[in-house]
Amino acid sequence: MRALIRAVSGGAGGYVIAAFVTSLITGGSVSDGVPVTFGYIFALLGWLHGIGVWNAWAREWFGLPPKPDNAKGWTRYFTFSTDHKVIGSQYLVTFLVVFLVGGLMAMVIRLELAGTGEGFIDADTYNKVMSMHGILMVAVAVAAVLGSFGNYLVPLMIGADDMAFPRINALSFWLIPPVAISLLSAPLLGSFEAGWTAYPPLSVVAAGDGQLLFNMGVITFGLSSILGGLNIITTVATMRAPGMTWGRLPIFVWATFSASLLSLVITQFFAASLVLIHLDRVAGTTFFGAAGGGDALLYEHMFWFYSHPAVYIMVLPGFGVALEVITHFSRKPLFAYKAVVGAFLTIVGLSSLVWAHHMFTSGMAAYLHAPFMVLTEAISVPTGVIFLSAVGTMWRGKLWMQTPMLLAGGWVFNFLIGGITGLFLADVATDVQLHDSYFVVAHFHYTIIGGSIFGLLAAVFFWFPKITGRMYNETMGKIFAVWVSVALALVFIPMFWVGVNGMNRRVNDYQQDLETANNFISWMALLLGLSFVLFAVNLVWSALRGPKAPDNPWGASTLEWQVSSPPPEHNFPLLPEVVGHPYDYGVPDAQHAVVGGSAKSED
Amino acid sequence: MNRDWLKVGIIWAVLTALGEVAVVTWRMFPEGYTREYEVVDEAYILLMVLAVPVFMFMITMLTYSVIKFGSREQPTEDGPPMHGSNRVIVAWLVITSALTVGILINPGFVGLSDIRGEESSDMVIEVEGQRWSWKVTYDNGIVTTDELIVPVHTRIRFDITATDVLHSFWVPAFGTKIDAVPGRTTELYITTERTGTGEEDLNLRVQCAELCGLGHARMAMPVSVVGEAEFDAWVDEWLAAESAAAEEG
Ligand code: HEM
Ligand SMILES: [Cu+2]
Ligand SMILES: [Cu+2]
Repeated sequence: MRALIRAVSGGAGGYVIAAFVTSLITGGSVSDGVPVTFGYIFALLGWLHGIGVWNAWAREWFGLPPKPDNAKGWTRYFTFSTDHKVIGSQYLVTFLVVFLVGGLMAMVIRLELAGTGEGFIDADTYNKVMSMHGILMVAVAVAAVLGSFGNYLVPLMIGADDMAFPRINALSFWLIPPVAISLLSAPLLGSFEAGWTAYPPLSVVAAGDGQLLFNMGVITFGLSSILGGLNIITTVATMRAPGMTWGRLPIFVWATFSASLLSLVITQFFAASLVLIHLDRVAGTTFFGAAGGGDALLYEHMFWFYSHPAVYIMVLPGFGVALEVITHFSRKPLFAYKAVVGAFLTIVGLSSLVWAHHMFTSGMAAYLHAPFMVLTEAISVPTGVIFLSAVGTMWRGKLWMQTPMLLAGGWVFNFLIGGITGLFLADVATDVQLHDSYFVVAHFHYTIIGGSIFGLLAAVFFWFPKITGRMYNETMGKIFAVWVSVALALVFIPMFWVGVNGMNRRVNDYQQDLETANNFISWMALLLGLSFVLFAVNLVWSALRGPKAPDNPWGASTLEWQVSSPPPEHNFPLLPEVVGHPYDYGVPDAQHAVVGGSAKSED
Repeated sequence: MNRDWLKVGIIWAVLTALGEVAVVTWRMFPEGYTREYEVVDEAYILLMVLAVPVFMFMITMLTYSVIKFGSREQPTEDGPPMHGSNRVIVAWLVITSALTVGILINPGFVGLSDIRGEESSDMVIEVEGQRWSWKVTYDNGIVTTDELIVPVHTRIRFDITATDVLHSFWVPAFGTKIDAVPGRTTELYITTERTGTGEEDLNLRVQCAELCGLGHARMAMPVSVVGEAEFDAWVDEWLAAESAAAEEG
């Protein structure tokens, strides 16, 4: 806790001093663009310094002995711990909280849209809540599975004792709280109304400085993603246990590896585009202002060059979780393993070539329409392979319908709807009508909730016993899985309909004839929101009071299940040796790994 | 095993048939007023028709597996060690690629050229978006800011721009939209085919479809598609009123 107090005071002190000094130099107010910018930068440095970057790391650069914080017990979650399991848990708890906060904002949005006219919040508040909901949820989808389960499980699954760069790992987590604080406080400075996409000129001309905090928060988040990606890639490439060939990697590892390739390569484009917005706001440049020779479409290209592939950063780890769960709970080898790996890598390659499908109605040159339509629809082929694997694995298996498996089934169903409706937006002839309508809102919620959040939920239940050492409540889990899936359909299927009937997105009011439908959607959204109360109760109660979990409650074959629950500090007492495929269920005498000197077979 | 496939096949065929009937009879799109709207509607229905069998196949496989092979109890033995034969994978890839190529051709390319249509027009209307209203300028000099009136059976080109931030010119009942971008002029062609007014049909409105700040939701103005005679009368009346105003002033 001492580290946390130091970090908070370092951050606050850094902000106040830097903003004050800058305002003296520029001669303006402390709340102007330049002081806010420098205030933020020094707040970030002060925060990192306080949390332990200096003590545990930077001292070395000056020839001083490092002083790592060796806190034990629950306080180590509040220190610059380099244990990947601690970091994974920090990510998980943080992002579950952010997810619930973002969900509350969705409730506010739906409350306002329950009737026409200006309801209980005004247009300005609506735009702020909508923008906040969007960016928080995007952050959750990008980092919740990858940051939490990627960190926690990749080293365990490949038989390593930690990540390749443990201190960079701690750094990538500790960059997140400043992001959360800056995003959540951005509306207080005003002008937080351009949505999570922050299109200029709106994001440049809007008065007030909330946009600046948004820019810097998101750039910091991007830095965290890049460092995290680098770490996972290096870990998978260099830290695999003897015998863990690329062809024997668990599918979840392949999924996080593929998503990490994307975060390493593309994140800078979002960061760069926000730097340009920042300069347009504080330094008087006109990258995007037409009057000064700039072009707003430039931003759209840069933004989507990140943000389209980013949806695969969100869903690839979800694919990995779903397939992982399905294979263990069907007790069959993963169907078409190699084809799935090929599909992941093809998706990584193709996804960075399709960005302009978001711009069919932007006014970009017409000759670009056909190539981007072709490339976009081509992605359905590798994505189809993942569906083949999911149903192929279940076919004639011994399916055990526990909560994780129910949620993995929900993943297949919901992501299928997301994928199919995506074709309507990739097709130019339908997109010109559906673009920026509620059809899009319904579509991307199906892809993100279906592909990423259902993966997250399945992962939470599947690995809960491993991480906490306790079992969750199965009855509550099953009720939740069914409840959330049904409510999701009741909320989002009608949104396709209101979209087709002329309701555009990002509005706080709409035409009278859609009131009944919207009112229904809002009630169902409440039903959906309430399901997460059950989710939270189950997790919190079980983490504290649940029955002790055995090491391998699912009888699963991969390495993380061959150690105690929770795993010992250095993961494996002895270096494990991998001798076979991870999912050879039903293959006589098959074995994945020899752990701790003694052979453990699959069952 | 063959029994399983037979059952799946039957369920799939039945669900697909039901789905197709539903898609074709229940037209999701409300009425439109332009040729372009029909292109969109047809492309939408065609995509639905093609999507139904794929969707139903996955749903059938999923629910059949859960019901037939699922159990609440922990299984005591493993399933058969099927790793996925190359034949199945190749067949799957061939089918999904063929479907993709199919929708790329129609509605893909066919729809793309249909929706664009010919680059010629009977009338050009300039539209300027600014926070939070639309300004419409006809080629005969008429300027309006409270309604858009267009004649029926006319091919119209809209030349669209914006003065402050991005907006998007969308008439839901026309079936198409394009952004209004500061510093650029974007073009949108439509061919009107049916008369109607914004009072009767709320989708006959110019709706801003690109987030532009506080008044974005209400940045809308009614649209009327009127008979040619009515349109000419409106023009004459407007021009007369203008010259009267000029004489007075
Ligand atoms: C309880 C569940 C949820 C409900 C009822 C809900 C509802 C909504 C609604 C109505 C909008 C549109 C607001 C507007 O256009 O004015 C919206 C936007 C959005 N939602 Fe959700 N949402 C939920 C969960 C999620 C989740 C889980 C994610 C992602 C992980 C997500 C991501 C987004 C994004 C990215 C936007 C776009 C914001 C923008 O346009 O800038 N939502 N949500
Ligand atoms: Cu995209
Ligand atoms: Cu607008």
